[in-house]
Amino acid sequence: MRRDKLKTPIALVAAAIAASSFIVTPAAAAPPADTARKVDRLQDEINAMAQQLQEMKQQLLQMKQENQQLRGQQAETAKQTEQAVTQQKELQTQVTAATQTAQSAQSAATKPSPLDNVSLWGYGELYYTHPTNKQPDTRADLARAVFGIGYQFNDTTRFNSEYEIEHAVASADDVGESEVEQFYVDHRLNPSLSARAGLFLIPAGLLNENHEPTNFYGVTRNFVETLIIPSTWREGGVSLYGETENGLGWNAGLTTGLDLSKWDFNPETPLYTSALELQNNGAAPMQATHQEMALANAQKLSGYLALNYRGVPGLTVGGTVFGGGAVSATPYTGSQNAYLYEGHVRYQPGRWDLSALYARGGFTNTAQANAQFPGASNPLPASFYGWYAQAAYNFDVGGYRLAPFARYEKYDMGASYEGLAPGFSGTLTGTTPAGTFPSPRDTVYTLGANFYLNPNVVFKFDVQRFRTNIDFDRIDLGLGLAF
Amino acid sequence: MPHFSDRLLPTALIPAIVVGVAAAAPIVVYATDYLTLAQAQKLMFPDASQFASQAPVLLTQAQATRVAGATGGSVNTSQWRVATAQASDGRVLGYVVADAVIGKFQLINYAVAFAPDGAIRDVEILSYREEHGGEVRTAAWRKQFAGKTGASPIRIDDDIRNISGATLSCTHLTDGIGRLARYVQAVLVGKS
Repeated sequence: MRRDKLKTPIALVAAAIAASSFIVTPAAAAPPADTARKVDRLQDEINAMAQQLQEMKQQLLQMKQENQQLRGQQAETAKQTEQAVTQQKELQTQVTAATQTAQSAQSAATKPSPLDNVSLWGYGELYYTHPTNKQPDTRADLARAVFGIGYQFNDTTRFNSEYEIEHAVASADDVGESEVEQFYVDHRLNPSLSARAGLFLIPAGLLNENHEPTNFYGVTRNFVETLIIPSTWREGGVSLYGETENGLGWNAGLTTGLDLSKWDFNPETPLYTSALELQNNGAAPMQATHQEMALANAQKLSGYLALNYRGVPGLTVGGTVFGGGAVSATPYTGSQNAYLYEGHVRYQPGRWDLSALYARGGFTNTAQANAQFPGASNPLPASFYGWYAQAAYNFDVGGYRLAPFARYEKYDMGASYEGLAPGFSGTLTGTTPAGTFPSPRDTVYTLGANFYLNPNVVFKFDVQRFRTNIDFDRIDLGLGLAF
Repeated sequence: MPHFSDRLLPTALIPAIVVGVAAAAPIVVYATDYLTLAQAQKLMFPDASQFASQAPVLLTQAQATRVAGATGGSVNTSQWRVATAQASDGRVLGYVVADAVIGKFQLINYAVAFAPDGAIRDVEILSYREEHGGEVRTAAWRKQFAGKTGASPIRIDDDIRNISGATLSCTHLTDGIGRLARYVQAVLVGKS
């Protein structure tokens, strides 16, 4: 718009100049009589023109100034545009850099390495246990150090294994044990069916498959899932498992079974004299006879079926039945079977953690076996059982999790006996020349707390009271970790 | 409790029963790819006529801190895929954000559907690769997230219940869903 305005006065000026020169030329040729008047008139006209010119000059100057201003504004706008472009370029660079960082992080994650398919994990626990009525039995123990190695062969096949050292030092002269706890291959047969083969954990109870110290309350594992369900209980075999979208999980397997010939009918000294020994010494019926795939006698097979319903958030209700042929206690005993069944429930509505479990097991044809050891100090039980109920509450203490808990449990490792000689009750208890034989059944009250430094590290404290074997009363401290 | 006698259940029969049950059981076990993202989008927004993919998510430091929430830690958005669910008239029906978290060793791919106001509508598991913890697929467990927003705690043992034996998968998935909910609330809600 403004440029158009400019053009018009310039054209006008040019026309005026041309016009004035045109007028001047004929005037010079006019006769002298009129000359003075004409000259005057022309003079006037010239004066008027000169004034017009002056005005035009003025206007031109103004135009020039305006033009100058406009140029300045234009330059300013250009500068601003340039700045915007620079800023945009900078932003683009930042976006590119961020994208590249994200991409390189991603490509670093996908960069092939022989270790990509390997996974490592571990867990362990340390105890300090102080029997309040029998202080010489106070012990500090690195109860177990376990490390796991897994390998993902491909999307459908995985290998898992766990290696354990119990009680810190394992040698011919030491109390420790070194063992392979799990060693199996998992394979997804199709999108809805998985199979497992090798040495694996029996899915019985709440603890056996989830036995890491961060997963249970109390310094040591509960007695029912140690003495009745022999956690950590594993067998060699094959299994199929899975779960439905409505929350029903199932697991069925064929495995090795128990070897009753490992049973010690006539121990000369008590098999255990403290709560810690009760848990560690493998005196319980299935603890003493499971084989853990150490040259296991595999003449007879066992099978199991485990069902767990988790269709209500926070709730687990389930049970397991295990059974099969067992290696007979003696060559002169007829065919023997072993069985175990259990039912459990765990409910975690928010901060509460409530659980209960009942387990019962037994061996068949024990009468024949026991008849060969009349008056034995440790006859083979026909049945054994235990149950517990437990409540814990999770507090948030300054960002840490503190979970006090209480547990009531009952176990009986000799609920029934068959084939005992007249006058024998089945279990030797009380003080004998060989030592004090504890009762194989008891009721235990446990009060304590788990303090979680983080989800992987837990400090534990508990007090346990035994109704029958009062020498077992104890105070425990523990440290557990799992990663 | 009754004594468990041989007559009740001859133990030698158990292996036979087990084999029978295994053979007869419905074939419904853990798997990897349950749903593609497109299938999940359609499932969660059946009325949507199209899903407009958004550009890769880049967060400012302040946004990342906000998205990390009380659980803290770094927020890795490289796995995120954000799409806007649109009706045929162009109306925004909500958002679907897909992400992946580690269960114990393997990635769990999942997608969360959000209403336009940032409230969670649904959670779907796309792929599950762990051998344990597949119970997070259980519909009842996933339903717990419905209605929660970036302002909810979305934490295990707080407003979300755990699955016994699947703690790691539950925890990591819950944390991941919480991050997405806070992202949607902070960045997407009110900007469409």
